This record gives sequence, structure tokens and C-alpha cells, in this order.
Amino acid sequence: MTLAQIIELLLPQLILLITVLAIFIADLADTRKEKGWAPYLALAGILAALITSSLHWGREVSFLGNMMRVDRFSVFFNGVVLAASALSVLLAISYMRPRTPYRAEFYALLTVVALAMTLAAGASNILMIYLAMESISITSYILVGYLRQDAKANEAAIKYFLYGAATSAMMLYGMSLLFGISGTLDLTGLADFFRAGVPEASRWIAFPAMVLLLAGFGFKTALVPFHQWSPDTYEGAPTPVTAFLSVGPKAAGFAILMRVFITGLPRFYTDWAALLAGISIVTMTLGNLVALRQSNIKRMLAYSSIAHAGYILIGVVCLSLSTTSPFNGVNSAMIYLLAYLFTNVGAFLTVIAFEEATGSTTIADYAGLMKRSPWLAVPMLVFLLSLTGIPSTGGFIGKLFVFGSAIQVQFYLLAIVGIINSAIAAFYYLNVVRYIFFTPAPEQAGPVPVPRPLRWVLAICLIMTFFIGLYPQPFMQLTTGSASLLASL
Amino acid sequence: MLNLTWLIPVFPFLAFVLIVLFTNPNKKLSSGIAIGSVAVSWVLSWGVFLQSIAGRIGMGEEAFRLHVPWLPTGTEWFPMGVNVDPLSAIMLFMVPFVCLMIFIYSVGYMHGDPRYSRFFAYISLFACGMLGLVVADNLLMLFIFWEIMGLCSYLLIGFWFEKPSAMKAGLKAFLTTRVGDAFMLAGMLLLYSQTGELTFAHIFAPETLEKLAHSQVNLGFLGSLPWASLLAMLIFGGAVGKSAQFPLHVWLPDAMEGPTPVSALIHAATMVSAGVYLVARCFPLFTAVEAGPQLGLVAFIGAFTALFASTIALAQDDIKRVLAYSTISQLGYMIAALGIGAYVAAVFHLITHAFFKALLFLGSGSVIHGSGTQDMMEMGGLRKHMPITFATFMVGTFALAGVPPFAGFWSKDEILADAFHKFTEHGIASWPFFVWLFLTLAAFLTAFYMGRQIFLTFYGESRRPHAHAHESPKSMTYPLIVLAVFAALLGFAGVPEEFPVLGHLLGGNPFHHFVGHEFPATPLNGLVMLISVVMALGGLFVAWLVYGRSPLKEGQPDPLIQALGPVHTVLRRKYYFDELYQATFIRLALWLSEICFAFDNKWVVDPLVNLAGRAGVALSDLGGWIDRTFVDGAVNGVAAVIGWMGGALRQTQTGRVQNYLLVAVLAVFVLLLISVVI
Repeated sequence: MTLAQIIELLLPQLILLITVLAIFIADLADTRKEKGWAPYLALAGILAALITSSLHWGREVSFLGNMMRVDRFSVFFNGVVLAASALSVLLAISYMRPRTPYRAEFYALLTVVALAMTLAAGASNILMIYLAMESISITSYILVGYLRQDAKANEAAIKYFLYGAATSAMMLYGMSLLFGISGTLDLTGLADFFRAGVPEASRWIAFPAMVLLLAGFGFKTALVPFHQWSPDTYEGAPTPVTAFLSVGPKAAGFAILMRVFITGLPRFYTDWAALLAGISIVTMTLGNLVALRQSNIKRMLAYSSIAHAGYILIGVVCLSLSTTSPFNGVNSAMIYLLAYLFTNVGAFLTVIAFEEATGSTTIADYAGLMKRSPWLAVPMLVFLLSLTGIPSTGGFIGKLFVFGSAIQVQFYLLAIVGIINSAIAAFYYLNVVRYIFFTPAPEQAGPVPVPRPLRWVLAICLIMTFFIGLYPQPFMQLTTGSASLLASL
Repeated sequence: MLNLTWLIPVFPFLAFVLIVLFTNPNKKLSSGIAIGSVAVSWVLSWGVFLQSIAGRIGMGEEAFRLHVPWLPTGTEWFPMGVNVDPLSAIMLFMVPFVCLMIFIYSVGYMHGDPRYSRFFAYISLFACGMLGLVVADNLLMLFIFWEIMGLCSYLLIGFWFEKPSAMKAGLKAFLTTRVGDAFMLAGMLLLYSQTGELTFAHIFAPETLEKLAHSQVNLGFLGSLPWASLLAMLIFGGAVGKSAQFPLHVWLPDAMEGPTPVSALIHAATMVSAGVYLVARCFPLFTAVEAGPQLGLVAFIGAFTALFASTIALAQDDIKRVLAYSTISQLGYMIAALGIGAYVAAVFHLITHAFFKALLFLGSGSVIHGSGTQDMMEMGGLRKHMPITFATFMVGTFALAGVPPFAGFWSKDEILADAFHKFTEHGIASWPFFVWLFLTLAAFLTAFYMGRQIFLTFYGESRRPHAHAHESPKSMTYPLIVLAVFAALLGFAGVPEEFPVLGHLLGGNPFHHFVGHEFPATPLNGLVMLISVVMALGGLFVAWLVYGRSPLKEGQPDPLIQALGPVHTVLRRKYYFDELYQATFIRLALWLSEICFAFDNKWVVDPLVNLAGRAGVALSDLGGWIDRTFVDGAVNGVAAVIGWMGGALRQTQTGRVQNYLLVAVLAVFVLLLISVVI
């Protein structure tokens, strides 16, 4: 493979790298305080990366000695994580301006995470995966603690870091075990090794290795029991960063989880599927039950985000090779992540706008939002309904697909637990609706202003939520086409 | 052009969204957007119409279809798309054009209304509903747009919701049509369960119809029926509601509470025609079984409604209510025509009726606008003050009464000729004879009540002191003139081929050739034509005798009251149907709802829900408690044992993160244990 070809395949990542450097250099050159250009420069870089990555659609190539792959799966996840990054940049503009003097670096760091996430989406070698995940994590720690004067943010960052470091160590141990028995770091090589026949001794090592790997992946995707960092971190982090963490790194984590387990360990499908099914049930149930009792909306969304990870996991568990059904598991997880991206960013957007106007993140303070700002209240209703999974929204299609794939492979238990959980979730989502629509606003409360970048995000999220909900077919085709991983099952 | 068909309903929808979201405060811009969007749809529609004439698009297999997968259903994708065949093409000729005229008219009529922009938003959505319904290529989409129209009719009839009567009328229209919709939905679901298809092209494929016609459904003590008959009758239920046929006709006259352009839009040109359109669209299903009861039912309901509604129209004093009953009666003609198999005649009457009834409604709106009253007993002598309205209203009247050569004459005559033809085939003791008889009598009554309306409204002297009638603004009169031209001339598209001179000159019934060349044209029947002309002119003449010869003076009662005696009271009270429904169905429903409410609120459901709610809260409390007590406790216990953590540390945040880590590590150990053991 020539250098030109490699550059062409790595173009999205290179663009992001150049953007990061450009922001740092321009930041040094520009001695003014404002740095209003920084978010837009980051946005331009991310969008350029998104476009160049989309142009790779249809390619199926491994390169750099099988370290990286460009396939439909990676292109899809590049799209998701880059869209999440771009929306987060827009969310952050008005939020970060009054809160920090170091404005340009924030966007540079966000772009670094975007870069790391695109690497994670394409990584097909365990070492590369580890590096990509660590890059995501380390930069995310800084983003969480970016507001250094804020004690809560500092606390959140420290917890996030310690937890991340510990789980990452466990994951690394698992990886070393895998390397120890197979002698390869390449995922397809690993699959070939196990397919050739599994000596009894290596089974004893492969199982613990999977559990250890799961500690790292579970941390990134906030699965129970590796979830405990997330409510504290989500609550303490700057809200745009929270929104970002709940969709970007989570999607990247799921991309890695699916690629490692499906491509690298298909031999043990029944084993890890059973493990993940149990985790999925616990994750959905715990996330939803605890979310019921939250009074802080960021914490509530954090627990809800845990619960959603549980639903997505159903798709990962219930894989099906049948071509007659629209549901094959992987595409369910993907379409769920896509719908969740726009819905959750939209919900966080309302939280950000409200926090900027009132400084509060308490659910009870949303009382009478309908009277104060109908333009914010009605979209919030849509996002909450989508999170609940009401038809005609994207969230419904996501749920339809994951539950559909569970029923497809006759794993009824998962579908039933998922459906019961959706009903429980309706309580706390609609509780917010109750405050917004049916509780009177406090006396002197005025309208909640929505800054211009947030309006763009609002429009995009609203349109996409309805688009996926009302006309899922193109997304369905996209995700089904992206599920190329399944070939290795 | 055909490939752009799907855009036709999109533009009015965009107008709705734009007005509601953005341009609401700017009235001029809002109405401009609404009119512009419909104008674009109109241009597109006529393009599609012309292309389908030129392209010889036919029914069934020869129709133009464009569709994409939409929803996953089991192993297949339910498609969504557009379907253009002669029926939808001819509807596309009528609907957007009449809508456009009504939109333009509304600018003048709604001028100064505080909710002006909202009005245009609603009627745009309404136009979207009708246009979408016309181009839909499957029953589900049709139903969705059908319901959009139902919603809009509710919003528009109750548009002046400050008036309690308007609010009630909106509710009545919505609820009454829902009764029909329930049947239609049932029909649709059964159809889907039987065939697994809702796409027209597939359900009307010969082999599917064959299957439906030959499989029987057992209805218990009612005996058994072919599936096709049952499905057709259920779907017809939807049409009965939407097209205000007996016994679900009660909503339409009350719906006159809405602004007059709405009456023209909903109750003349579009929504009520949707019911007829539905039956015409599903015509293959209705005719799948030769001797089934479904066609007789359709014909009977239609013919009965035609006569029944025209008798009520005799005794109404409200100018719009007369037209409302006339609409019900004319829809009865179309339904009856479909019931006797006169598909082309029904569609023809649907199109011509839309034009002249829109004209008459808009004309009555102009009269109301100019004279300030809706009561014909207070009008009189408006001819001098409102010449344009008068002239166009006369055209509409002649068209409706069936005076040659206006549009209504040709279409009504075609229906009567078909009915006559059918009854001569079956003999005098058959139901087609009664269809023909009812329709002919209704034709006479139609001419009479329209003559009554003309003489009461435009002739004589004003019967109201200090009336200062004036002609309406140009934005209202121009649409009247345009519609009048169509009401006068449109009939020439369907002149029977054998008609002397004209038949040949006008291309030998091009309407029939385009819409239904599969159906044999009914031969021209001079006798029927003569009878119908006599009926039309006779009705107008009798009206002149009663009302025209000596115009009513102020305070003078309607001479019909004396002539008809108690019958007049019965007619005036619309055969007491409202009272009957109030005493039976509504009271029953209220009583049921009381019981259900008590069941819900006091006896069973609420306590259960509360119990479940409490159980849920308790469960989550339990979960929280377990999390705190056992998980935290276990962790704390371990922590205490190992000596990493004391009570003081537990209070601090750093202590907690160590807890978290412990949980993570323990979890891994547990999972390892599980994975190794299993």
C-alpha cells in the first residue's frame, strides 16, 4: 500500500489533527481574549473530517499492518461520533464563554477526543484499540475538569480519572492475557486462532480475559456494574461535556465492544452473549430505578443514559444472520445509538439553555417552562417522548429495533425486561413533562433565552428525531449496510 | 411531472409549518404563503393531470406508481408512495384548483379576523390532507390523510370557538365522522389480515379480489358472507361518515357554524368528496362479488339520503343550511350511482358538483358578508346590490338544479340514465327502480328549494329594516366568476356520445374515455333526459309560483308552512334525528361513561393504579435502600475491614470514588467467578 493510499484512508484523522494544531497555533498567535473563532474552526475541521470519512463509504480495507480498518462499520461510527462532536461544539459556545478564559484550548481538546474516537471506530488491533481508548479517556478527563475554579467539576474529573485508570488497567490485563495465549494482537488473527481449535487451558484464560476487557468497555459505555462514576461525573462536568460524554465516547465504546467481541471472539459468542445479556438486564433495571428518585436533571439523565446503554446492549446480544428480517442486532444497536444521539443532545440542550438562564439544574425548577418559553418546552417534550420511546420519534424506532431483534432470536426475556423498563422510564421522563406543562411558574420568572448556536442544534436534533421516527427506512438501510462485522460470526 | 407527484401535498404542509412556526404574527405573509403553496400544488397537479391524459395512464396495472419502503412489518417493508390513475388525476384537476379559489376568497372573507394567520395555517394543512389522500397509493396512507382532514375539520368548524354553537358543531363533526372511521379502520385491519397488503395495486389485483370474493366469513347468526362484501361494507362505513350519508348525516348542517370558506372547502369541494372518492377508489372491491348485499346497501343509502336530505332542505331558512342539506343530497346521488355501478357518472358528478357547490357556498358567503345575516327570511332584493354575486349564484343554481346546459345537468342526467337503464334491465319491482324514482323526485325537490332560495334571497324587497347590502371585494368576487365559468361549462366534457351535434362536436364524451373506458357507456336515453329537464324546470317554476310571483313581505310567514302543515315542522326539525340521537346514543354513551368513570375512579382501576404506583415507588426505594445498605454497606464493610476507609473518609468525595473502584473490582471478581464456574 502506497503512502498516498494510506494518507487517503487516514484523511479524516489527519484533518482533525491539523485542526487541533491549527487551533493551538492560532491561539498563541491571537493575543485577544475573545477567541470567538475557535469553536467555528473546530467545527469546520470536524465537518470536513465527517465529509471525507463519508466518502469512504463502501470501502472495506485493512491497512497499517492491520492496525486500522476502513469499512462501513467504521464509517458509520465516524459519522456518529463526529456528529456528536460537532453538536457538542455548538452546545459549548455560549456555555463556556463566561466560564473560562481558556476558550480556544477547550475546542482543541474536544477535537482531540473526536480524533481519538475516529481511531477507536476503525481500530482492528488490540493495541490500537487500547491506545485509542486511552486517548479518549485522558482527553475526556481534562474536558470534565476544564472549569478549574469549579470544585464540583474538579471532583468529577478526579473520580472519572481514577475510575478510568483502574478499569483501564483491568482491561489491559485482559488484553495481555489474550496476547499471551494467542500470540497475536490482531482481531482477525485472534479469531482465526480460536477457530482453529481451543485447547482447554486457553478457555480458562479466554473467559477471564473477556470479563476483564468488559471492565474497560463497560466503563466507557457506563454499563452496570462499571457505571458508578457516571452520575457524579455527569453532574459535575460542564453540561456540554456531559452531553458529549453521554453520546460520543459512549458510541465509540459500543463500536469497540462490538468489533472486539464480534470480530475477535466470535468463537465464544454464546458465552459473551450470556454475560452481556445479564449485564443488559441489570443495567436497564438499575439505571431506570435509580433515575426515578433523582431531583437533579443532569443526574437523572445520567442514570437514564445508563439505562439506554442497557437497551443498546440488547442489540449486541441478539445477533441474527437471517437476511429476511430487518433486524440483525448490530443494526439495531446502531440505529438506537443514532436516534439516541440526537434525542439526548436535544434534551441536554434544554438543560444547558435553562442552566444558563437560571443557574439551576433541579427538575422542580422547570415548573411552568411551557408558559415561560414554549419554544424550548415543546421541543423538550419531543425529546423526552423520544427518550421514552413514543412512536413517531426516533427513540421509538430504536426501541422497536432492539426489542425486534430480541424477539427475532427468540430471546423473549430480554425483550420483556426491556419493555417493562421502558414503562418504568416513562414515569421519570413524564415527571419532567408534568413540571414543564402543568405546574405554575414562579412569579417573577421570565422567558429562557436560547442563544443562536443552540437554536441550530435544537433545529437539527428536532428534525433528526422526527426524521428517524417517521421515515426510518434510509437509516435502516445505512445501518444494515454497516453491519458488515456480522460476516465474521 | 409524474415523478413530482409526491410533492403535491408537501407544499401545503410546508406552508402550514411555516405559518405556525414563523410567520404567525405577519398576516399578509401568512396568507401569501398559504396561497402560494396551493398555487404551486395546483400547477404541479394540472401538470400531472395533463400528462396522465397524454400518457394514457389507466386504472389498475396501467396506473403510475412511485413508492419507497417505509415501515418494517415482520419480514417485509410496508411501502409508502403515490399512485396516479385516472381517478386521482381527475381529482387533482379539481381539488387544488377549487382550494386555490377558496384560499383567495378567504383573504377577503377573513379580513380583520384576529386569528387570520391561524386560519390559513389550518386550511393549508387541510389542503395537504385532501391532496395526500388523493395521491396515496395505499389504504393506510389514505387513512392517515383522512384523519388529518378529520382533525382540520374539527379545528376549522370550531374556528370561532367563542361561540358555544361553533364549538359544539366542531365536536359533533369530529365525533360523528369517527363513528364511520371506526368501521373503516376495522375494514382496513381485516383487509390487511386477509391479504397482508394495503397497497391499492395489490389489493385490487384480480387474483386477490378473486380470493376475497370466494372465501366466506361466518358472522354467526347473521349467516355467512364473502369477505369482499364484508370488507366493502365496513369501508363504506367510513364513507358514510365522511360524506354525511344517512344515518351519519347529522354533523354536516351543524358544521355550517364554521367560517363560510371552510364550508366551501370542507363541505363542498373536498372533505365530503373524500368519502365518495374512497368508495370510487375501492370500487373493484365493491364489485368483486356479483350478487353481494354491498352494492344494494350503497345504492339504497345513497338514494335514500338524496331524497331525505332534499326534503329537509325545503324547510330551512338559513341560507347555508339549505346548501348543506343540498350537499348531503347530492352526495347521495354519487353514492347511489356507485351503488348501481355507474362509476363514471359518479365521478363526473363528484367533479362538477365540487365546482358548483363551492361556487354556491362562496356565493352564500358573499351574501352573508354583504347583508350581514344568514337568515333568508331577512334577506330579499339583493339582486340590485350584489349583481356579481347574484349572477354567479344563478349559474350555480342552474347547475345544481340540472338546467341544461349547465354542468350539473349532464352529470346528474348521466346518473339518472344509468339508474333507468339498470331498472329496465331488472324490471319495475327491483331496487334500481326505487333508486331511479328517489333520485328523480330529489331532482324536482332540488330545483324547488334552489328556486326558493333564489327568490327569497335576491328578488323582492329587503325584509329587514336598515339593511345596507353591498357587493363584496374583488378578492371574493373573482373566485366566484372563475368558478361560475367552470360550473357553466364543465359539463361539456361529459356530453353523451350519441347526443345530437354536441356529442360529436365535443369529442364523444372525453370524460368517459379518460376516467372509465373499461366501463361501457350508458346509451343516451331521450326519455330520461326529458324527465330530468321537466323536473328541473318544473321545480324552479313551482318555486316561482310560491315565492317569485308575489315576493314575501317583511314579517310574512313562509307559505310552505301553511301548505305542508305539520309535515313542515317535521322537516324543519330534520325528522328529529338530533333529538333521537341525543335521547339514545348520546344518553347511552354518557351513562356508560359515568359507569366507566366510577369503575375507573372509585372502584377498581384507580386503586389498582395507585397500588401499582406505590409498589413501584416502594420497589425503587427498596432498590435505593439495597444500593445504600447492602452494596455500600458491603463495600464499606470490606473497606472497614481492610482499613482503607473510616467513617470520616466516607463523608468525603474521595472516599466514595474508592468505593466505586472497590465495587468495580469486586464486580470483576464476581463475574470472573461466574464465568469460570459456568
